[in-house]
Order: sequence, then C-alpha cells, then structure tokens
Amino acid sequence: MPTLSRGASMITLLAMAVTGRAADWELSLDTRAVTSDAGRSFMDGGLGTTRFDRNDSGMQLGRLRLALSSPLGELWSAHLDASVWDDKDRSPVGVTEAYLQFRPYPRAGYRFRLKAGAFYAPISLENRAAGWESPYTLSYSAINTWLGVETRTIGLEGQLDWLGTRTGHVFDLGLTGGVFGWNEGTGVVLAGNGFMLHDRQTPVFGRVGPPGVGVLPFQQFDGRAGVYAGVEGRWLDRVVLRFLRYDNRADATSMDTVSGAIAWNTRFNSAGLRIESGTGWTGIVQWLQGETYIEPAPGLDFAWPFRAQFALLSKRFGRQTLSARYDRFEVDSNVPDGDGRQTGHAWTAAWMFDADAHWRLALEWLQVRSYSYLRTEFGGPPLATETQLQLAVRYAFGSGVR
Amino acid sequence: MRPSTRPHRISCATRGVGGALALLALTGAEPLWAATLVISVQTPDGRALSGAVVTARPLDTPPRRPAPVHAVMDQVSRAFAPDLLVIAVGSTVAFPNSDSVSHQIYSFSAAKRFQLPLYRGKPYPPVQFDQTGVITLGCNIHDDMLAYLLVTDAPYFGRTDARGAWSVDVPRGRYQVSIWHPRLRESDTDLQRELTVGDADRADLQLHLLKSLQPAPINDRPHSWDY
Repeated sequence: MPTLSRGASMITLLAMAVTGRAADWELSLDTRAVTSDAGRSFMDGGLGTTRFDRNDSGMQLGRLRLALSSPLGELWSAHLDASVWDDKDRSPVGVTEAYLQFRPYPRAGYRFRLKAGAFYAPISLENRAAGWESPYTLSYSAINTWLGVETRTIGLEGQLDWLGTRTGHVFDLGLTGGVFGWNEGTGVVLAGNGFMLHDRQTPVFGRVGPPGVGVLPFQQFDGRAGVYAGVEGRWLDRVVLRFLRYDNRADATSMDTVSGAIAWNTRFNSAGLRIESGTGWTGIVQWLQGETYIEPAPGLDFAWPFRAQFALLSKRFGRQTLSARYDRFEVDSNVPDGDGRQTGHAWTAAWMFDADAHWRLALEWLQVRSYSYLRTEFGGPPLATETQLQLAVRYAFGSGVR
Repeated sequence: MRPSTRPHRISCATRGVGGALALLALTGAEPLWAATLVISVQTPDGRALSGAVVTARPLDTPPRRPAPVHAVMDQVSRAFAPDLLVIAVGSTVAFPNSDSVSHQIYSFSAAKRFQLPLYRGKPYPPVQFDQTGVITLGCNIHDDMLAYLLVTDAPYFGRTDARGAWSVDVPRGRYQVSIWHPRLRESDTDLQRELTVGDADRADLQLHLLKSLQPAPINDRPHSWDY
C-alpha cells in the first residue's frame, strides 16, 4: 500500500535525521530505444512474454530509480529502493524494497543478520546489481522475472553465516529463514500469463496489468504467514550454490470478500549455481519447480505445476560484458480445457558497456518462442515467436557513484 | 583481497629489519654480518611467488625481539590498503578510512579480537598487536573486503619481491625459515626449513611449493554487485 511506501520513506528520512549522518543515495535514469514484434504486453493485459510489445517500438523509459540507505547507529541500517517504470500501476512511484537490517559483528566465525520490511528472498544469482538488476542482461531470466513480478518477502528474514574464509578455510556456509505475509496473490500471474522475460519488478502492493483487469500479487486476507528456508555454500569468492524451499501457505479456499480475490497456494523449490573465473568468465544455472493452486469451492481445485531453468554464460572484457542465456519454462494445468498451459524457451544476447561510473550503454536481443493455450482464448494462434531489441542508456549519480 | 599493485603506505619488511639493526646498534653488539641469506619461493609450476611472507629465526643464539613499529592499513575504494601487513609483535596499526562510505572492520582471530566502526573523517586510535599469529580482517558491511596481518616475533622478516626472492644480512649460525602466504594450501610446518649460514658470503634457500595456490580473489568486480 502507498502507506507502507510513505512509511518506509519516513523511516529512512528519520534515520538520517536521528543519526545526523548523511545517507548514501543513488539516482539513475535508464532510457530505451526499443523495437519489438511481441504480442500485447502484460502491463496492457496481453499475453506477450516480453516487456515491450509491437506498439511500444520507439523510445521508452526503462527505469527511474532512487535508492537510499542510511545507518541507524552502528548495527542497524535502513534501505529504500523506489522506481518509476512509466506504466499503469496504482502509483506512479513504486517501492520495490524497503527494509531495516540488523547486522551485528561476527563472533567466533559466526554472524547473524536480520531483515525486516519488504525485500527479495535470496534466490536469484543473476540479480546481483543495485536495484535487484542483472549486470548481464537487461531482461531477467524467466525464473527471476517471475520472482520480481510475484514474490517479495514482506516480513522478517534471519540469516546465520559461518564465515569459514575468515577462519582459514575455503568455504562459507549460510542458513536463511523467512516469515512473510501479503502473499495470497503469488501465483496468479504465473497461471494467468505464464512465464515472461523482462525487468519490470512489481512494486510492493503494486498491480500487474491495467486497472480493472490487473492483478495484485501482494495481498493479505487469509491470516496465514508464508515461510521459506534456504542454504547457501560458497567456495572462496568464486562459487555460490543455493537451495531454497518456499511455501506461501496460502489457504486456497480463502477469498477476499471485498475484492473477490482468491488466495493462491504457491510452493516451489529452487536451486542455483554461479561460478566465476579469475579471467572474467561467469556461468550461472538456476532451476525452479513448484505448483500454485486454488480451491474456489469444495472439491473444485485447480493446479498449475510449473518449472523453469536457465543457463547463462558471460565474459567481461574490461568495461564491456558479453552475455548469452538460454531459458526453458513450462506451466502445466489440471484445468480440463488446459487453461493456463504454457511451454517455451528463449535466447538472450546482451552487450553492456560501463563507460564510467555514471554512464552505461547496453544492447540486448531477446527472442522467446512459446506455446500458450490462453492465446487461443484471445482468438490467436497458440504458438508465437517474439523478438525484442533494446538499446539502453543509463545515467547514475549519487553519493556512492564516482 | 585487492591487487597488490596498490602502493603500500609503509614497507614493514624494511622497517622490521631496520628495527633489528637499530636494536643491535643500541645494544652495542658485534657487527657480525657474515653472510647474506637469500630465500626464494617458487610455485609448483616453477613461477616466482611474490608477496610471500618470510621469517627467519636464529637457532643458536637467544631470540631477539624485533622492534615494534607504527603501521597504517587504510580503506581505499572499498578495499584494505595494503591487504597484507607483516609487523613485529607489539606494533600498532592505524586504520583510517579514505573512502566516502563507512566500514566496520573486525577480526575474530585468536591473536587479536577487535572491531572498529570506521566512519568517514572520524579517526580512531591505533590498535596494538601483542600476540603473534595471523589475523584475518573483514568488513561487516562489505563482505568482499579481506586483509591479513601477520604478527611475528622473528628478528628477521619480509616479503618476497617480484622475482620471488627476499634477502637479509645475518650473522653466521643456524636458522629456522618459515613461509606464509594467504593463499597457501600447504601447512606452515610443511614450509619450515632449517639452514646453516656458514663460511660463504651467501646462503641460499630455495623453496618449491608442492601444491598450487588457492585462486586469487576476483578484484575487478564492480563494488555495487553482491559477491
């Protein structure tokens, strides 16, 4: 809700005032020249798998982003990430993350961390840059696009790390657990649109799609908290391996009496591996498998099992990065007429050039080939090949950009 | 750890040996420089290992403690500078912060446990290191920051140069030589050697590592990425 966004902004500003210490801030503007032959974008209520459709060719706003972080004393800090996406959400400015972090000093090789607020669960190995962006491509993989659209931890997360690399070993290990609310809508976009590949993250309490038709992934009306638990292993600073089990524990029989929204019970397992070399190579693979289901009436349950994988290979040449990624995704359905069934794969190739700390130039080609049963309901052929080419220019400035 | 090409504020190797020399001069000991001890270290593939810490202890005479120094380990571009210091036991190290961002440095190594919040422009008193050993330093805000302090009571110590060599003038006698490097995979005892500095002007010790080093930390990753 906008109240939370305002609340988070207030917390950050208050933090700055209380500590008397200037917050770190960053403002960036990302503009795009786009050419696309894709079907109507999800933000216009369509079934296109890319962010920009054939009516969006031309200049577009990629993202206008403001990030603030401020210490609150020695061990606490406040973080806020707000963006304008130039689309039709409920509010022109959306907060994608806003949280407080407690970060005590490590003791005897162990460290505890606590986050409270709204933030991403530690799943993606691709979205490692500021603002949960990917430094490899403009459009995220199908897995991480979905996480950006429909998942956010609005709650608490605890993390316990064993810092082996600080005690003469070559490994670090971490355990993560999260408890969160406002998750009854998680799964609705997957069942309604299927997987997509883009970089538009749904703001906290934001809407996906146009007014009247769009859906709200972040709602709370069943009185149940979701949970996740994950483990992470690292070898030096070269290899990261992650597993996470997520269950929003939504009561699939629950319905919001005011909006008529149904609670989507969504569970998944995810795994990821990232390997980096000392010569600029990066390889990432991620895997996701789960199911979302609803039970609008006793004995009437609809389930959409889903799975997706991707492999990304990237090479850094000084200030330039070349990346290629292959995605595969599938949503199944037990609905008798196959409602929501989707299969597809995608190729992404991107060149990024960080001219200096302020300017970044990027060129990305993305082609998605997918079958979607829902397209036939709109009178189209179920199979589509969609190609999108983007040229992005981003300018960033702030206290930490130099 | 960041590239070792960053200019070091002080050279502790020089100061350590210089301190030992000064101590000798003060105590009026005989100038018994009989020979040059040259230690060179090679990786298993035959390449020179630069930056390795070498310590040499006389075995025939009672150990003489090296003179403490005042060293500096700065924070520059979200990295410790330098990322490795060898200091005599009893030395102090100042940790200024030349960055525009705050750091919170810590160590939970047995030789010295401490934590320091380093806000920009706010100096802290130097930290004294009274116990020998390796101290691993990290930053509680920036996980990719990593540095080492090696605190030694050996009278002779230093680091190998680009040719993998370190040399020092020492009196005749038997010496125990030890090698340390943050990326070594061999144990300390595997890399201890005894040698005798005899009648010749020069005594050479060549050490060949049997195991390759751990990979060096990636240092060209943008700071805004998680690591």
